[in-house]
Amino acid sequence: MGSKDRVWEVFRQEAEGDPMVHGGSVKAPDEELATHYAREFYGRRQESERLWIVPRDAITELDDPDLLKPPFDRSFKRPGGFLIKHKLEAARERAGSPQVDEVGE
Amino acid sequence: MSELDRETRDALAELLLAMADDEFVLGFWDSEWTGIAPILEEDVAMSSVSQDEIGHAKALYELLAELTGQDADRIAFGRPPEGYRHAALMNHARTDWAFSIARRFLYEHADAVRLESLATSGYQPLADLAVKMRREETYHLLHFDLWLRRLAEGGDDSRARLSEAIERLWPDAQTVFAPLATEAVLVDARILPEPLETLRWRWIDRVGALLKAANLPVPVNAHLDADGRTRHTEEFAWLHGEFTMVSGSEAKATW
Repeated sequence: MGSKDRVWEVFRQEAEGDPMVHGGSVKAPDEELATHYAREFYGRRQESERLWIVPRDAITELDDPDLLKPPFDRSFKRPGGFLIKHKLEAARERAGSPQVDEVGE
Repeated sequence: MSELDRETRDALAELLLAMADDEFVLGFWDSEWTGIAPILEEDVAMSSVSQDEIGHAKALYELLAELTGQDADRIAFGRPPEGYRHAALMNHARTDWAFSIARRFLYEHADAVRLESLATSGYQPLADLAVKMRREETYHLLHFDLWLRRLAEGGDDSRARLSEAIERLWPDAQTVFAPLATEAVLVDARILPEPLETLRWRWIDRVGALLKAANLPVPVNAHLDADGRTRHTEEFAWLHGEFTMVSGSEAKATW
């Protein structure tokens, strides 16, 4: 072993229907042992409904800040990025519905 | 179970004690790998599997305690070394990794054959426990079959160590099926669905096929030492001192 070890990322589901969440990783030379070790590290206390065991080199990583954190204001791409308070007030006035504070931003 | 007569109850107690001691002593031997197994992941795996065996021993001791009105902890920790009834396979120290794997491989399959049979036991609490234990033993079988194949294919050194260990342990491994003094009573009462000798040959066929598939030599000597569960070694006496150290430090304490 040793030099032939690969890293495997383990994702676990805590209960049926829950999303798969990254649990951590194990080192193993192949898929069979990786599965055993994932079971021991992330399932031996009956804490997992399901595990996904993925070789790290099968994962495509994107961490380029120019692509993920560009320097310009991108707040308008977020749901809360639009200032709609005044538009909403105007719309309510037209519709005759009561004023509600703290809607939108 | 109150409907068992005294003779049957004593016979059942002998079977439960033999099985519990197998699991208990092996669990302690292999927990000796904690912290020093070949790789971190395997360290956790081996420790976890050893804990499983202690858990199975606990369930068996509790069944026995219920049957005889004793205390499970006292049965587990309160006997002198000569009072234990584990098979001679569990008389050996941990030794090297290949030796521990060889022992686990031989034992896991013997235990599987035994549990398969006991799953149909006429004594329902034992049948239920056997079914439950088998679910966990499935993983043990997978894990040690995997290690056997790996060491067999892992180069001359690991292959040689593995075959030597199997050859050395083979006679003592037979004693998992050493006849019990009261076995006839158990078979008559259908508590033990098949004689241990039938189970032993089933096990020999099964491990023989797996060894062959891994291109390992299959030992031919099938002699069974009938005293396999009563003769113990210095190595076991040492382990006994280790696992009774805490409980023995304050015999009357409530834990």
